[in-house]
Amino acid sequence: MRRNLIPAISALAVVSLLAACGGGAGGPSGGGGKISDDKIVLGVLNDQTGIYSELSGPNAVKAVQMAVDDFKAKHADDAVTKNIEVVVADHQNKPEIANTKAQEMYDRQKADIILDVPTSSAALAVAGVALAKKKLYINISGATTELTGDKCNKYTFHWAYDTYMLANGTGTTVTEAGAKKWYIVYPDYAFGQDMKKSFTAAIQAAGGQVVGEKASEFPNTSGDFSSQLLQAPAAKPDVLGTMHAGGELVNLVKQYNQFKLKDKGIALSVGLMFITDIHSLGPDALAGTKFTDAWYWNFDKQNRDWADKFKEKTGSRPSFAHAANYSAAMNYLEAVQAAGTDASDDVVKNLEGKEINDVFLRHGKVRAEDHSVIHDVYLAEVKPKSEVKEDYDYEKILTTIPADKAFKPLSENTCKMG
Amino acid sequence: MTALAFRKLAAMPRLWRLVGLLAGLLIALALPWFIYPPVAMDIIAWALFAVALDLLLGFTGLLSFGHAAFWGSAAYTAGVIAIKTGAPFPVAILGAAVVAMVLAVPIALLAVRSTGIYFAMVTLAFAQMVYYVANQWRSLTGGENGLQGIPKNLFGLDLSDPFYFYYAGLPIALIGLLIAWRVVHSPFGRVLVAIRENPARSRSLGYPVDRYKVMIFVISAGLSGLAGGLYAVSHGFASLQEVYWTTSGKVVIMTVLGGIGTLWGSTIGAALIVEVEDYVATSGIHIGPLNITGPGLIAGLIFVVVVLLFRRGVWGTVAHLLRRRRDVPEPHLSGTAPDVAEHEPAVAQKP
Amino acid sequence: MSELLQHAFNGLVNGSFYALLALGLSVIFGMLGVVNFAHGAFYMLGAFGAFILLSEANLGFWPALVIVPLVLGGLGMGLERVLVRRLVALDPLYNFLLTFGLTLILQDLLRMKYGSQAQPYPQPAGLGGSLNLGLFDYPAYQVFVLGFSVLVSLGAWLLLARTRIGMIVRAATERPELTRALGINVGRWISPVFGVGIALAGLSGVLAAPMRAVSPLMGADLIILVFAVVVIGGLGSIFGSVAAGFLIGMLQALGNVYVPGLATTSVFIVMAIVLLWRPAGLFGREETAV
Repeated sequence: MRRNLIPAISALAVVSLLAACGGGAGGPSGGGGKISDDKIVLGVLNDQTGIYSELSGPNAVKAVQMAVDDFKAKHADDAVTKNIEVVVADHQNKPEIANTKAQEMYDRQKADIILDVPTSSAALAVAGVALAKKKLYINISGATTELTGDKCNKYTFHWAYDTYMLANGTGTTVTEAGAKKWYIVYPDYAFGQDMKKSFTAAIQAAGGQVVGEKASEFPNTSGDFSSQLLQAPAAKPDVLGTMHAGGELVNLVKQYNQFKLKDKGIALSVGLMFITDIHSLGPDALAGTKFTDAWYWNFDKQNRDWADKFKEKTGSRPSFAHAANYSAAMNYLEAVQAAGTDASDDVVKNLEGKEINDVFLRHGKVRAEDHSVIHDVYLAEVKPKSEVKEDYDYEKILTTIPADKAFKPLSENTCKMG
Repeated sequence: MTALAFRKLAAMPRLWRLVGLLAGLLIALALPWFIYPPVAMDIIAWALFAVALDLLLGFTGLLSFGHAAFWGSAAYTAGVIAIKTGAPFPVAILGAAVVAMVLAVPIALLAVRSTGIYFAMVTLAFAQMVYYVANQWRSLTGGENGLQGIPKNLFGLDLSDPFYFYYAGLPIALIGLLIAWRVVHSPFGRVLVAIRENPARSRSLGYPVDRYKVMIFVISAGLSGLAGGLYAVSHGFASLQEVYWTTSGKVVIMTVLGGIGTLWGSTIGAALIVEVEDYVATSGIHIGPLNITGPGLIAGLIFVVVVLLFRRGVWGTVAHLLRRRRDVPEPHLSGTAPDVAEHEPAVAQKP
Repeated sequence: MSELLQHAFNGLVNGSFYALLALGLSVIFGMLGVVNFAHGAFYMLGAFGAFILLSEANLGFWPALVIVPLVLGGLGMGLERVLVRRLVALDPLYNFLLTFGLTLILQDLLRMKYGSQAQPYPQPAGLGGSLNLGLFDYPAYQVFVLGFSVLVSLGAWLLLARTRIGMIVRAATERPELTRALGINVGRWISPVFGVGIALAGLSGVLAAPMRAVSPLMGADLIILVFAVVVIGGLGSIFGSVAAGFLIGMLQALGNVYVPGLATTSVFIVMAIVLLWRPAGLFGREETAV
């Protein structure tokens, strides 16, 4: 008798314990108001502890908080509401967790908008949730052009950069600067293939030629890129373009240096590079490498001032993602202020077509057709260690690529907003 | 529930057995009122998965460290069926379970050539192969991005609120649990226990041991597939995570935590792990200056503690405390009883 | 043709890591019957050890090559005494699960302290250039890695085949009771052998640091490949593990050239074939198949 009953009762006890931890958010879901739940909740969903934690991570949350504080200070008593909250969740760069967390943020924590979301797969997952829940989503750290292409929707905005901009920026400018023959190495998955395609198109449009391309297995378990690198010199390229990111980029650059390809006349160009990668590898490993950056903290006085404020709050220099999160949060709040409500449709209407100039967006515009936010971007070169005067002072800005040239033109638009 | 215990069980008043099962059913029905519904559905899906693994681990004594292959391939299959054909989701999930079973046959046939730790390593390696293939087969699985937008079709009913979907999906899991329970309480189940205890003797009694192993492997894979399909439809999403080895490890933790060979213990293990992970992901655990946000650390600690101190798992420990008064032998991994201190491993694993 | 040789050579270099890791894994299994899932984590700790020595104590590659394996070996011995020993009497699967849990813990601890970003680690001075190997040029450091690994493997073999200690270890592995009956204290060798196995993992980690991204998850996927390697080579066989390690390294490198997306999958396919044809592995002994 007791054999089955007591375990069953202990199971009941365990479940009650779980329920207590479960947040008691059971039952069917409900509805909203003018300022829904009498507060604005900004949700930051990103990688808090993994490979993108330094790129955006916890400091992105601080950046968003800075925006909230600045908004409150600016509008004081005229603010549409003083109850503004920032909630955070970690998606660990996994689309399924992003999917779940986004639903939770919108439902459980009453988020009105979700920000950040690095990693393309997670970015796309959240876009689906945003559409289903009819709530706002401004993606900052994800790279995929599908957010403003095939997978676009009314509630999703893409704020900072995408693969097209990277490929176009780097591919075009490097080719125009004289490196006509490219050898492309890319990871064999969606992101890598997209980058390769975009780069090839940009290179060819600028009068260059892709003399060889090699895929590498993704994920690259052995960490070895020798096969791809060793085959490069035979094709006699001017530059090696790598579409790898994170740890794989680090591996590849280490091996690129080991095989002395630079001495063989093959320069290095990186499709996707963040200032945090330069920090990992050290500027000397990447010295001379050209890449496109969406924003650099030491570019001009306006950026530097904001970067100093950021440093006071966080102790380090901001990446483009931090600045973009600040900008997106601030502009969202301003849109709510202007619309008088946080109802998604009204805020979307306010944002569409807006031209914005702030610390992050120069000559910025929120395109109504695909919700891509275009702005000026920069071609940068990595400084050698000898020229680095202070922490994170790794980049030399070579040229500014104007907004209308940097991003995918509307003529190539594949977005059908429902 | 070993062979001996089974006999004692059969002699016990069936009323109490029924009460126990009913209590479990009530909990399952009430769950989404207390716990955020998508998490509740997760608990149910993982519970079925862990029970499926326990059939293999606890009852047959085979540790498969690659069960994510079946959970994951079923997740993708259910998604593809639901998206491409618009069929009602139970059909998609059923199709997914079938695919998982088909996948299990060659793996089982190759894996049962090894035993014990080899078996674990081989299943692990095969599951990784499935992972790499899923990664490459981008057109079907979406690769890195995963398979998104899996609909919850059911003859036009609106199941977008996860609370209602829970009740729509629960019957499927209950059927799976019923199948598992039926397998255990059957002559087939008793042969499995015999194989676990002494494969050589079972063979000498005329039982085709390898064939039994393959059969239970396929059944376990099918139930895992059922669970995986349910999970995918619930989330509207299937990703590479579902076929990755950490998922295989996670379900093993759940089964071990719950209690190997106790069947229902696995459901508790699953509930605990899902809740702990949810808690850690939401708020993290703070011990003084240490801010533990990593699910890996928690899972690892649970594993180490359970393997060292609570090998019987939650359910097993409770049952053991009761058993002490009744003197009934208990479930354990092949060849060794946790009580015996110095004991040469039964099967010669050493070269 | 020289290109093919270059790729094959490449494969040998990568195979060095597999060989050393498989060697350590085999040694531990042979002596204790424990399959150490945490082997990949110790490889990672080896690389991190080198990084920490450089960043905190300004000790470069060469001191690290000696210090890190010793420290990790000691750590391994401690681990064996405190944790592994308790479960050795039971089904080896328990120790497998224990080491799996340890892996998760170690990886997450490192990640919490250092983040997931790769840590910088430079190539050792003096090995920076490339060597002309007759048919092609090759980075000197990679050649060093290959040579060093071969030396270590040879050393291990010599130790086991030609010395008294090796004889005891082998006897204790194959016939523990008989060895004890002959008056040899088997027990005192268990910890040191476990320590040596771990030290080997740490050593490969140090060797990997200049070549690979030093991050907490660097050993995570690698360990499963190493499992495939030992299954192919034969878990009990030292020679089999090393040989299979180099073979698989070459297979992967050539696979990367000819079938880029499927290089790693092909390793598992080979494993499946080996299991069909020779369940004990290429060089394993029949008993291990059971």
